[in-house]
Amino acid sequence: MKIFTITLLAGLSLCANPALAQQAGAPAGNIENGKKHYTTDGCYQCHGTVGNGAALTGPKLANTELPFEAFLMQLRQPSNDMAPYEAKIISDATVADIYAWLQSLPKSPDPKSLPLLTGMGVK
Amino acid sequence: MGKKTTDQAGLDRRGFLTGVAVAGGAGLSAPAQAQSNPMLMAQAQPAPAPAARPKAPLPTAAQTAAENEHPPHMEALTTEKTGSDFMVDVCKTLNIDFMASCPGSTFRALQESFINYGQNKKPEWLTCLHEEVSVGMAHGYAKVAGKPMAAILHGTVGTQHAAMGIYNAYCDRVPMILFTASAGPVEDRRPGVEWMHSVQDGAATVRDFVKWDDYPWSLQSFAESTVRGYALACAEPPGPILITADGKLQEAELSKKEEAILKIPKLTRGTQTVGDPAALKEAAKMLVAAENPVIIVDRYARSQEGVDNLVRLAELLQAPVVDKQSRMNFPSQHYLYQNARGGALVGQADCILSLEPVDLFGQLNRVRDQIERTWRRTSKPTAKVISLSTHDLLMKANYQDFQRYSAADLAITADAQATLPYLIEAVEREIGDRKSMFTARGQKMRDAFKAFAARAHADGALGWDSSPISGARMFAELWNQVKNEDWAFMSPNNYAGNWQHRLWPIEKHYQYIGSSGGSGVGYEPVAALGAALAHREIGGRLPIAIVGDGNFNMAPSVMWTAAHHKIPFLMIIQNNRAYHQEVMHIQRMANRHNRGIESGVIGTEITNPNIDYAGLAKSYGATGIGPISDPKELGEAIRKGVAAVKAGNPVLIDVIMQPRG
Repeated sequence: MKIFTITLLAGLSLCANPALAQQAGAPAGNIENGKKHYTTDGCYQCHGTVGNGAALTGPKLANTELPFEAFLMQLRQPSNDMAPYEAKIISDATVADIYAWLQSLPKSPDPKSLPLLTGMGVK
Repeated sequence: MGKKTTDQAGLDRRGFLTGVAVAGGAGLSAPAQAQSNPMLMAQAQPAPAPAARPKAPLPTAAQTAAENEHPPHMEALTTEKTGSDFMVDVCKTLNIDFMASCPGSTFRALQESFINYGQNKKPEWLTCLHEEVSVGMAHGYAKVAGKPMAAILHGTVGTQHAAMGIYNAYCDRVPMILFTASAGPVEDRRPGVEWMHSVQDGAATVRDFVKWDDYPWSLQSFAESTVRGYALACAEPPGPILITADGKLQEAELSKKEEAILKIPKLTRGTQTVGDPAALKEAAKMLVAAENPVIIVDRYARSQEGVDNLVRLAELLQAPVVDKQSRMNFPSQHYLYQNARGGALVGQADCILSLEPVDLFGQLNRVRDQIERTWRRTSKPTAKVISLSTHDLLMKANYQDFQRYSAADLAITADAQATLPYLIEAVEREIGDRKSMFTARGQKMRDAFKAFAARAHADGALGWDSSPISGARMFAELWNQVKNEDWAFMSPNNYAGNWQHRLWPIEKHYQYIGSSGGSGVGYEPVAALGAALAHREIGGRLPIAIVGDGNFNMAPSVMWTAAHHKIPFLMIIQNNRAYHQEVMHIQRMANRHNRGIESGVIGTEITNPNIDYAGLAKSYGATGIGPISDPKELGEAIRKGVAAVKAGNPVLIDVIMQPRG
């Protein structure tokens, strides 16, 4: 369920300053800093280097539909086996940066445009 | 065979040396003692000039030669036949195709007998560069060939090298015929290494994880134990057996008289255990009465017959199958193959049939990996659970591969594959003429299955052009190059995203052989080598393994053995430049301790320098391609690799990939 939508204003501000991204209700985040921390803080290990997710370890995060508050809550108090990220080791601001980077990632291509993918398993 | 000692040879060497010692001893002993003891050194007085020594007679050349060698007429230095030849005769009756080995002097007689007396056929001697490769090769071979091959391990040190591979095969319930050796009785051993490599109990190192072992003390006993061991290794549940070939038995002369009374027993393979009819009738009633039955299958099928029978049972009941994938159990594109929603199905089930579970508790429960290890049942408490398994027939105390105890409502101790035809009969009787009663359930399964491919395509599009390359992209490029081949996977591929089970049509039993059993790292390359050997013998197949870089580093020499023995296969290194499972574990601990979350890669990454896997493969005489980090270059790399495999070469393609799928 998509709760928040990117407003035209936000979209315009992204165009004006691609280093900053903000989803409605989310604090402004520094995309470059978020990209760096996504790697150094270990997010990629379970969710892939571009937030693509992995069947065994963690869901897709790129363009996540989770609102920021839910995203933050999942880090602080994971609902499953995920390792916790408390405020002592990653601040709300840094989480916002990571969130902003994930929101800035390009949308996945439509599978129908990838015949190599849709042809997998088909002779 | 008697030995004549030097003294018995009548030579006066001892007398000569004694004469020298007595004559010179007085002059040498005091300073020698003093030099070894500073206190004495301080008290030492200058020695008086020695008296003239009596002249010792020097030995003649003939005497010197006689001291060092036995006169030919007094000792037989060659023989036509030794016990090791008979051991080869025993092995030949078992129709063993291959004997994998890393050389070791404790079985030198046996090796020579296999390659010369046995003419290096049935079994053919295979050269491995580590004992873990030898046994891992036997592991993979048996899973494809459906019968065991043999491996021989140097006494003590070779068995120690092999131990983890044997453990994997034991946990995976795979038959192997293993030999080790010892140098023989104490009075026969040369000082030094022969003692280091001798052992009173050759199997003790691995006894906890072999099915049976023996140290035969006569050739007749060797014959009986080897034949018995072969039968036991193959009986369900199968496993490795180990025979210690004593050094003296190997090397001692075998006279015609002795040979005449030796007998090699006939190999008789026992029939498999089948569930009792009353229990099967009860199981059939429970399954037919259920509204939401689920079949969970794990280490079940050992042949296509097992797969076909499971399809019959699932279709009879229109019951979904959740495959834990320790073997190829069920066609991946059959509409009843419902792994994509396995968790939900198990949670909703009112009756669960579990076929050869490795971990029944784990199928029905979940344990969280947080500080507080809470667990909860994921299946309904009211769900009836039927287990049909040989699990309880092979269990030992020390190693804990038996998993947590979980009681089924109906536990049928029997071989599931052998039993399934009888269960099908019981279900058919129970259904009677009500065959259409499950039609609606079947339609639900068909509808659900249609959605799986769309979901897989959506997942596969994520990170499609990313570098490192995604698992979906790699599998798609691979499919494009091998779709018209008779391909077969020799690796589990879980860490690469398991795409072969999501989208590839795995229909034949040999197209997937499951995982290591014991999760001992290093299984993937060595089992692939053995599986590829079995595929080569059958012919016409394209064996493929997706091997993690950490796994490959445990046994890179598989590439040499493959090149040397001309065993073709395509090995794709899923190179995430780390022991990535451990990266995640250390990260978890750092997070748990609220410190150093950027340091989890210390001790787990395999970088700085990066390893040139393609170059490594080339150095072993195989074809090496890569590293490939641009997804657009991957298809061409695989095309070249497949062409090289079809030309008879082992091929390694190094692909820089996402850490997990």
